[in-house]
Amino acid sequence: MNIWTYTIRRLLYVIPVLLGVCLIIFVLFNLVSPDPSLMMLGKHASAHQMAEIRHELGLDRSWFLQYWDIVKSAFTFDFGRSWSTKQEITQMIKNGAMPSLTVSVPAFAASTIIALIISLFVAFYRGGKFDKSIVIACVALMSIPALAYILFGQKILAYDWGLFEISGYEHGFPAFVPFVLLPCIIWVVLSIGPDVRFYRTVMLDEIYQDYVRTARAKGLTENVILFKHVLKNAMIPIITWVVIQIPFLILGALLLESFFGIPGLGGITLNAINSADFPVVRAMTVLSAVAYIVFSVITDVLYTIVDPRVRLK
Amino acid sequence: MGAVTIAEAGRIKEAEQKSKSLWRHAFESLMRDKYAVMSIGIICIYVIIAILTYTGVIASDWNLEVGPSYAIPSWDNIFGTDIFGHSVLSKTLKGAEVAISVGFVTTLISVVIGVFFGALAGYYGGKVDEIIVWFYTTFSSIPYIMLLVAITFILGKGLVAIYLALGLTSWVSLCRVIRGEVIRHKDREYVQAAYSIGGGHFRRLFKHILPNVMHLVIINASLTFQTAIKSEVILSYLGLGVQGRPSWGTMIDDAKLELARGVWWQLAAATFAMFLVVLAFNILGDALRDALDPKLKGK
Amino acid sequence: MSEKILEVKDLVVEFKTDRGVVTAVSGVNFELHKGQSLGIVGESGSGKSVSALSIMGLIPSPPGKVASGEIIYRGKDLLKAPIEEMRTIRGNKIAMIFQEPMTSLNPVFTVGNQIEEVLALHQKELSKAQRLEKAIEMLKMVGIPSPEKRFNEYPHQLSGGMRQRVMIAMGLACKPDILIADEPTTALDVTIQAQILELMKKLQNELGMGIILITHDLGVVAETCDHVAVMYCGKIVEKSDVQTIFKRPQHPYTKGLIESIPSFDSTSGHAKGRLPTIEGMVPSLFDLPSGCSFQDRCSHVTDECRGRKGSPHLKPLAPDHEVSCFNPIGLT
Repeated sequence: MNIWTYTIRRLLYVIPVLLGVCLIIFVLFNLVSPDPSLMMLGKHASAHQMAEIRHELGLDRSWFLQYWDIVKSAFTFDFGRSWSTKQEITQMIKNGAMPSLTVSVPAFAASTIIALIISLFVAFYRGGKFDKSIVIACVALMSIPALAYILFGQKILAYDWGLFEISGYEHGFPAFVPFVLLPCIIWVVLSIGPDVRFYRTVMLDEIYQDYVRTARAKGLTENVILFKHVLKNAMIPIITWVVIQIPFLILGALLLESFFGIPGLGGITLNAINSADFPVVRAMTVLSAVAYIVFSVITDVLYTIVDPRVRLK
Repeated sequence: MGAVTIAEAGRIKEAEQKSKSLWRHAFESLMRDKYAVMSIGIICIYVIIAILTYTGVIASDWNLEVGPSYAIPSWDNIFGTDIFGHSVLSKTLKGAEVAISVGFVTTLISVVIGVFFGALAGYYGGKVDEIIVWFYTTFSSIPYIMLLVAITFILGKGLVAIYLALGLTSWVSLCRVIRGEVIRHKDREYVQAAYSIGGGHFRRLFKHILPNVMHLVIINASLTFQTAIKSEVILSYLGLGVQGRPSWGTMIDDAKLELARGVWWQLAAATFAMFLVVLAFNILGDALRDALDPKLKGK
Repeated sequence: MSEKILEVKDLVVEFKTDRGVVTAVSGVNFELHKGQSLGIVGESGSGKSVSALSIMGLIPSPPGKVASGEIIYRGKDLLKAPIEEMRTIRGNKIAMIFQEPMTSLNPVFTVGNQIEEVLALHQKELSKAQRLEKAIEMLKMVGIPSPEKRFNEYPHQLSGGMRQRVMIAMGLACKPDILIADEPTTALDVTIQAQILELMKKLQNELGMGIILITHDLGVVAETCDHVAVMYCGKIVEKSDVQTIFKRPQHPYTKGLIESIPSFDSTSGHAKGRLPTIEGMVPSLFDLPSGCSFQDRCSHVTDECRGRKGSPHLKPLAPDHEVSCFNPIGLT
């Protein structure tokens, strides 16, 4: 089958998944979660007031309509209004997207490139002390919780040594740079561990394959073997891994944004969680889920393009 | 299917022996790796500490004022004290309880659910498989943190809520892996041979296929355990953490206010305690993968 | 006899494992003459592949190491040659093909590209167009139909037999002096096996190269080789021309191997009875007995075989027939 047929079939599968996701979101946020009218009005609200609020929030409509609203929002991105700020959520998203991206995009690019370079070195000098120490370093990096990095980074690097801004944000380039530098660095430190481990595994898997032995028997140098033969094969799983991380850039790192005062989508989400602002939390969930679904389709299709074994059946 | 041939019975025996010798072989090569042995040792120490603090044998003074508020680490209080004058050392030790129990229960929940659905999907195929795959695909499309938050909203606060929330969000990857392996094994000769002897579905699944996928469960379990411990920190930060007992997560979370006042010892103690045990699980997980995964090429 | 093009002397190869150092090849000697085929026969673990890989300098080190010996090619000891020189020899003067054509070709490059690569590496004077032409010519030479079309196909699109032909094409593209084939037909169907062996013989006649064929299958050796060396536990136990080996094997192991070839020939005596086998199993290289390594399975074993300190050495019993045995079968 060719690419187009595959893409269409893959997209068709998105529909049941999307409906399922909206169902789960509906169950979680509309059905079993605590009654917001109680939360908003307090314990002494009268039944009448509660009914009014419930009507205002659209909670007295049929389940199906509420569910259908969620499904619609996945396509129209119209999520209603925030309960706490009364803002239109779509507008909030538009405002918050840019700051999130100023942190996540450079961090993502940097960590991917650095991890790739490190893993190439590891593949070249495999088996020796260098390899072992990289593995140990990755494992050690991954054993420290994110919060600890943030707290440590903020306290020592920003506060004590004054190398970076402690928190806050300014829009516009290059004004935001001193504010996003530290969160970027922490993000890179957080992702390097798992990234290098994965790339290293992929590279080493390829290096021990039979075709590498054949390439050596042909008289090729180790450089050519690594950068031409191994890399092209290793790129297949690596590309899919990288692409599937892209939807997570949108949410930004919740913790990082919150601690560093970055007014991005992550920070919005966290505030909403803390204030039980369901529409916002629900909207962010729908947004992330849709992004994830879309990118998994892209990943699958990309895979068929990049891997000749899958492409031509 | 007629009488079983000697060859078929032999093959079943061989397959069973192979899985036994895989464990033997894995055990031996694991014991040879000194880092793996150290990690097992560290984990055991943590478990013992958790049991000891649970029974009150040690660190029973975690609740008592043993010194002035925010005392710097000294010979009296090796890790200093917190805002209430409680010994940070005792709190750190007591925190092992929460960590170990969270890790253990979470892993248990995710293993049970993951293996159940994975085996079912892989074994029966068809509609059952489609439904289960659809289910976990939708489940995993929802960002982890949102799911955690939503579940803890519903279940309220407390340890049980944490167990369930973490357990319910970590079964998908194991489910996928088990499903794949069961599918691979389903068509293997030894299973068909078992069928010809007259083994029913249940018997085949439990006696023959599952033992051969257990190694994946173990490898995955070590990963789940440490992820659970790290996730507890995030839950604490979101205010959904453990109440009434010290946990490393709450200690680290408290640090966000303390650091400004120059109080670093609670953060350091909790981070270090967590670092050691998570590191141990990481190393153990890697060693287990090297020992148990038969597909590994010679290195 | 034509000129000697390769001579392996006292080759010793060791491997470091987590259970200690194991000697995969302990003191192996053989030679190859121009235009002739040498078959190296043995079970898995006998050291035959390791010997071949040593010629190409492809022993992975760590954990392997060529401890001692000489491999003389064109007057030079390959074991002492610098790596850059080895690289000009590999694929160019001495080529090697391997057992698993499925995994030995790079899955993400076209078949033609991989043949072209070896030309681009060793015959830099050729233009791109000339390389393409040569590659297609090689595909034709190894009997692949519609070579121009196949050139742009990927390995997974070809059958096992065709992939092995591609490997051969790749190996012979630079018209090497020596082709080393490590179990080239083991992973293929029997009918394809015969085709590949025939192809190799034909190419040998056309190009005049020497072939070292490594296999565990004596039947293959009988078909295609001029000389045979039988290996067991890292040592050569018998070495001769192919007729002598089959008609008058002197080492009990060789005899056992020959007798265990199934045959329909009523004169061989076992068309009716049970197929003879060699009792026992190959001992682990960690656990070799003192004296002759074959003692526990030998039908001819004497006390001397068990009692002597070292294993027997290769001794010429006749011109061009060497055996390493304390109690050879004797000429009947």
